[in-house]
Amino acid sequence: MGTANLPLKNLLRRPGRTAALVLLTALLAASVFGGSVVVGSLRRGLESLEARLGADIIVMPAEAESKVSFKNMLLQGTTGAFYMDASVLDAVRGAQGVELAAPQTFLASLKADCCAIKVQIIGIDPDADFTVKPWIDERYARDLGDMEVAVGCKVTAGVGETLKIYEQYTHVVAKLAETGTGLDTAVYCNMDTMQKLLAAAEEKGVSHRISSGSDVISAVYVKVRDGFDVGQVNNWLNGHIRKVTAVRARSMFTDVSDSLSGIARAARALIGAVWALALAILLVAFAMMIHERRREFAVLRLLGVSRRGLRGEILAETALCGLAGALIGVGVAALGVFPFTTLIETKLGLPYLTPNAGTLLRLAVGTVISTLLIGLLAGAWAAARLSRTDPGTTLREGA
Amino acid sequence: MKKNTIPALIILLLSLIAALGSQTFLGACVHEDGSFGACHWACRAILGEGALLAVLALMALAVKRARFGLYLAMIPASLLGLLTPGVLIGLCKMPTMRCRMLTQPAMTILFGVMLVAALIGALLSRRGEK
Repeated sequence: MGTANLPLKNLLRRPGRTAALVLLTALLAASVFGGSVVVGSLRRGLESLEARLGADIIVMPAEAESKVSFKNMLLQGTTGAFYMDASVLDAVRGAQGVELAAPQTFLASLKADCCAIKVQIIGIDPDADFTVKPWIDERYARDLGDMEVAVGCKVTAGVGETLKIYEQYTHVVAKLAETGTGLDTAVYCNMDTMQKLLAAAEEKGVSHRISSGSDVISAVYVKVRDGFDVGQVNNWLNGHIRKVTAVRARSMFTDVSDSLSGIARAARALIGAVWALALAILLVAFAMMIHERRREFAVLRLLGVSRRGLRGEILAETALCGLAGALIGVGVAALGVFPFTTLIETKLGLPYLTPNAGTLLRLAVGTVISTLLIGLLAGAWAAARLSRTDPGTTLREGA
Repeated sequence: MKKNTIPALIILLLSLIAALGSQTFLGACVHEDGSFGACHWACRAILGEGALLAVLALMALAVKRARFGLYLAMIPASLLGLLTPGVLIGLCKMPTMRCRMLTQPAMTILFGVMLVAALIGALLSRRGEK
């Protein structure tokens, strides 16, 4: 009698039992793969934010934090604007230990053309900028000209299109690479363009004026010279420049990093619990299955199938169930995570950047292998128990 | 329960989720000024397509002899639902809008699974007729 197809025939003969085992392993694989992708995306998002910001200190108006959360602007793309006198830039540049200081000016658009959503417009000084410009340089080799804008990857307009902001027509010259942060929903222009947009906004009743004058900026990004302590420079800026707050960029990341660690811990605990539960259920399921089929296995032994052959039969059934479950689980998790990337990013409020295809493939293969191994572990335990039983005794005992 | 009724049960469940979801938890948002975008009308169309598929699935469960033909009818109906948000009826342009980040992917998955289930149902019913 040929036994090569026996595992598959056994599985097909009992579709209910097989479906339950496959479902269990699929749940295990889906939790591992889905959890790993989400945690991996959050890690990559944080790395991307750190790389993108590139500043040690950010100087902004003292009331900025109460007016709009600067962190939310960076992470979630919340629109907002606050202003301080442009002379702050010179004061920052004059501070000891400051290597580079680049100004940025913010403006929140009214509704964009397409839908009911505001867009954050950020004016940069291409000569001084060291944070956004390297990012723009990846897609556009020249400096941004007058009424030229570069847009984040989640802004609707494409290269060559015209974007109307406060009734001013701007020309989109670059679409920037994805960062997984709020920067993806912003529009970038040079300071001359920003002045025109501020004037146009003023006409529409969106005032940016401050008591000291009309020449305004929103933030100064600072890079500290090597050999100087970032904390000391930060304290000096806070102590010597009036009406501003200097914030260490690292401290903003610490909050994000803490949230990320919390989510990663929760995901690991959940995955661990699912693994423990699945292993326990698989062990019980296989023990019950072996008990139910002990007479069938005894007959096979009496027909000449060796103990080793019987173990192989059980392990083959386990492997088939495990493989099917792992593939289904990875597929279901992929369907549940990848199409909803933007939704997950929005709901978590954290930088979220899906890992590249190579990493995803490695994660998927790792999930399939680990799920298969856990199924085989449960099957091996059941097979070991069976091999200790004498087939003659089993058959004499009756049903 | 016959094997070829399982796809109809799946389609019935998913079509109800699509139809009711498009008007509630999977639906598009209302703009800040209270106006409706194209996405609102895409959801209205999905309501009709979901209801149509639910009726076809119920008929497939009830009328054994017409099952094969009903499964065949569900294939273009699912395809229609699959193409409605974003292809046949436009959605908001910003990827961060609710219709783009929730409605469209959810409907793609729901109608995609219904399409596969209808194909399997047709295959199983055809075998059963022989």
